[in-house]
Amino acid sequence: MRFVAFLLTKLLVYVLIIVIGVTVVFLVPRLLPSGPVEALLARIMAGGGFMEPAQVESMRVSLTQTFGLEGTLWEQYRGFIERVLLAGDFGPSLAMFPTSVNVLIRQALPWTLGLLLTATIIAWILGNVIGVIAGYRKDKAFSKVLELIAVAVYPIPYYILALILIILLAYLWPVFPMSVHVRSAPLSLRFLATVVHNSFLPALSIIIVGVGWWVISMKALSSSVCEEDFVQFARLRRVSDGTIMTRYVARNAILPQITALALMIGGVFNGALITEIIFDYPGLGSLTYMAVMQSDYNLLMGTVTLSIVAVATATLVIDLLYPFFDPRIRYR
Amino acid sequence: MKYRYRVIAAAFAIGAILGCGPFLSHLGAMGTAPEEVTTEAGTPRSETLVIELGGGRVANPTQTNPYMPGTPLTHGYHQLNISHLWDVDTVTGEQFPAVAAEPAEPLGDDHRQWRIHLRQGLHWSDGVEFTADDVEFTISMLLETPALPYSGVLSGIVEEVSIVDRYTVDITTVNPEPRIQKKLGAFIWGSNFRLLPKHVWEGEDPATFNDFPPVGLGPYVLVDHDPQGYWFLWQRREDWERSDVGMISGEPGPEYILYQYFGTDEKRILSGASNEIDIFLDLSPDSFELLKQRNPNVRAWYDHFPYANMDDPAQRGIYFVTVTPPYDSPQVRWALTLATNIDQVALSAYDGMLRVSPIHLPPVAALMDAYHMPLESWMKEFTLADGYQPYDPGYAVRMGQEFRDRGMTELPTSEGELKEIFGVGWWRYDPQKAEQLLEEEGFSRDSNGQWRLPGGERWQMNIVAPAGFEPQAERLAFAVAEEWRRFGVDATVVQKEGAGFAADYFSGAFGVGSYWSMSLGLGPDVYDVMEPWHKRFVVPVGEHAAANQVRFANDEISRLLDEMSVLTSDDPRVIELTREMLKEFVREMPYIPMFGTSKFVPVNTYYWDGFPTADNHYEGPWWWWSNFKYTLPNLVRER
Repeated sequence: MRFVAFLLTKLLVYVLIIVIGVTVVFLVPRLLPSGPVEALLARIMAGGGFMEPAQVESMRVSLTQTFGLEGTLWEQYRGFIERVLLAGDFGPSLAMFPTSVNVLIRQALPWTLGLLLTATIIAWILGNVIGVIAGYRKDKAFSKVLELIAVAVYPIPYYILALILIILLAYLWPVFPMSVHVRSAPLSLRFLATVVHNSFLPALSIIIVGVGWWVISMKALSSSVCEEDFVQFARLRRVSDGTIMTRYVARNAILPQITALALMIGGVFNGALITEIIFDYPGLGSLTYMAVMQSDYNLLMGTVTLSIVAVATATLVIDLLYPFFDPRIRYR
Repeated sequence: MKYRYRVIAAAFAIGAILGCGPFLSHLGAMGTAPEEVTTEAGTPRSETLVIELGGGRVANPTQTNPYMPGTPLTHGYHQLNISHLWDVDTVTGEQFPAVAAEPAEPLGDDHRQWRIHLRQGLHWSDGVEFTADDVEFTISMLLETPALPYSGVLSGIVEEVSIVDRYTVDITTVNPEPRIQKKLGAFIWGSNFRLLPKHVWEGEDPATFNDFPPVGLGPYVLVDHDPQGYWFLWQRREDWERSDVGMISGEPGPEYILYQYFGTDEKRILSGASNEIDIFLDLSPDSFELLKQRNPNVRAWYDHFPYANMDDPAQRGIYFVTVTPPYDSPQVRWALTLATNIDQVALSAYDGMLRVSPIHLPPVAALMDAYHMPLESWMKEFTLADGYQPYDPGYAVRMGQEFRDRGMTELPTSEGELKEIFGVGWWRYDPQKAEQLLEEEGFSRDSNGQWRLPGGERWQMNIVAPAGFEPQAERLAFAVAEEWRRFGVDATVVQKEGAGFAADYFSGAFGVGSYWSMSLGLGPDVYDVMEPWHKRFVVPVGEHAAANQVRFANDEISRLLDEMSVLTSDDPRVIELTREMLKEFVREMPYIPMFGTSKFVPVNTYYWDGFPTADNHYEGPWWWWSNFKYTLPNLVRER
């Protein structure tokens, strides 16, 4: 009974977060001084296309109609809620009209998930393993070296780090491609190998930065756990070092890291904006960037709504699962 | 425990070696015979012309209905596949018959009845002959499909179309259209009127039909593309001689043309240094310099200073919303003109690689001959209301001297030749006179030397500039702001991305801005591009202005435009009236014209040569225009 009440409360909060988030996403672009019609006209003019005044006006009127931007804000909002929340249809992209936003997201999502999930999980595992070793054996030389490397790498601006990787591994020693270009093909080992080869540099850049953060945070957590009484008792009982490190220290220090990982996995649906721009990676981040640059309301709402739902879901799942990881926590 | 660490270390070492496998194999291959280099699309590099794809990746690569508003055009579709009735020769600025066989024939004196003769023997890229049916179908389809945004535009031009015979159509226009060729053909960049193959489109819903892969009259067909939209491969048609280019210019050189997106500026330079790009889009002077240092095969329009091409049909300057105080006063605008040290602006903004323009049309070759040069004697005599002569003819000579002193000895020494490069002259740098003009308008300086408006408030000026596009306009804003700050105006630059910039521009919310849209021109008849200056387009600030975004209402200019509107392009009165109009522009100075647009659109001669250059000026370097395809027969393989 207590669990049901807990579940219902969490679900209500979950739905509220999504509705409020989606409403904000609907409103914010419309409060901006620019709009998709102006953006499209500007794009035509920036490309050198001259249009006479009558042509500009005629184009503006018909684009406003075509994009469904007529009517009051309330009418637009009602249509939006009906379409998006009830039917899951984000409508056509305005910058790539009439290509559907759902299609664009469907194309970009596997790329983003493939890259970010893999890189995030690898960075999490590596960072936590190194972090717990460095925290448990903090007086050893190698611990200090590992920490020093993590502390040195973590603050490097991501853009610079990515450029250094490109210059080293794609230009001076062209082992990997400078940009991610993969031809579509039926799923096969060869195709997967191409995807991995193409995605290696962006993944490496994310892992390097990610590992730095996980090492620093895990080292701090495990150092703190090492000072706890139960660890001291275990040492006095002559429990082996490996057992203390893995079963006593790591298990207790990992809990906040699991929360952070879950939120990060939720955030994966944002895409990795800078990574995708630097490496020409066709994921959700670059799609969101295109949407912002071209005032593509529908596309922006599509990508951001996805992100809101993902983060809210990740939070909900963590709330529901946490008691399984930590017996001290109960449903209340 | 130690054993365990050794195992971990060994695992890392093996991983590292495996990871380096491709690198080691690459090193191993260095000593052997080179393999055929291939492009991203798998074609032989030596047979492929690689052109930068502008504007980022194309997320909807299989949408090629040219009338859908979100259809991408810059990936070769516009440049290689689509053909217009008339296209433009950018050397002369004149149109030439492309798909049409000759200029439009007037069927009466009212300029409402036109006969268009079509080129015979043209075939679509799928082998079907092009005929009058296709023209009639395209126009009728557009008139009957209001769901396509261009339908409204064409409905305002064409009332009726009829087929005369297999290669001739007659058109009746809604209003007199003495410049019908410009309405239905290309004269800058391209035309929004694009011909469609009836046999492909008939029976389809034009508002939803994707038209992929496209069938065109140009010499190339789309044969492959990256599903993620990073590259597009075009191949020369087997029957290229039945395309418009084949019939007009001959066989295009490259077998393949690859449009590829290379990403950020840093990656563009790295790719250019590795000979992965043959034709670049616009680069900043610094990026060009960097690229040239790393790849000696890269060259710009000139092989020496000033490198950049200066014949882009857009002019840069500082615009004002001319109804917003204090910029509603011609005297204030003139004061700001005289407070500008144009030499310094040119050097700061673009290292002096700019052609100056004192009048309100760009200083491209054809317009220099028609307007800048002939009007120079008038400018020398021109006086402000108090008799002050503001013209300074010495800019070109000073710039020539400046750069010769820096060791650029290849520059000519004669004034005439220098003026061809750097422009005829500009307006004096005379801060004292500027000060006097402002004081006459009620402005005053405070104790810090900063200007105060007639009402006593501090004069704060935000110059709106593009962010991340149009680099010259961007840099110009900063250089001018620096000049005006030195003069005592609190000027700052506010940069805006495309959509925000456009919103300000259309609504007149920008006050002061740096951009080019209201001053274009290529050929001597500039009526179409100057028509937006007519006072009938002026709307209040805050409302969307389809034209005359600076809200400049001038009776004399409007009268001259009205007179020009009924003349044909070849009427000699057009030039005469335009000169009168330019004089009025100078008197009122609604915006401060400064420079033509310098474009660093370099080429790499490692794989291909024969590109248009200053020494071989058969066309302009406008790779993103529809007339680019006519330059392709001049390209020759180098490897």
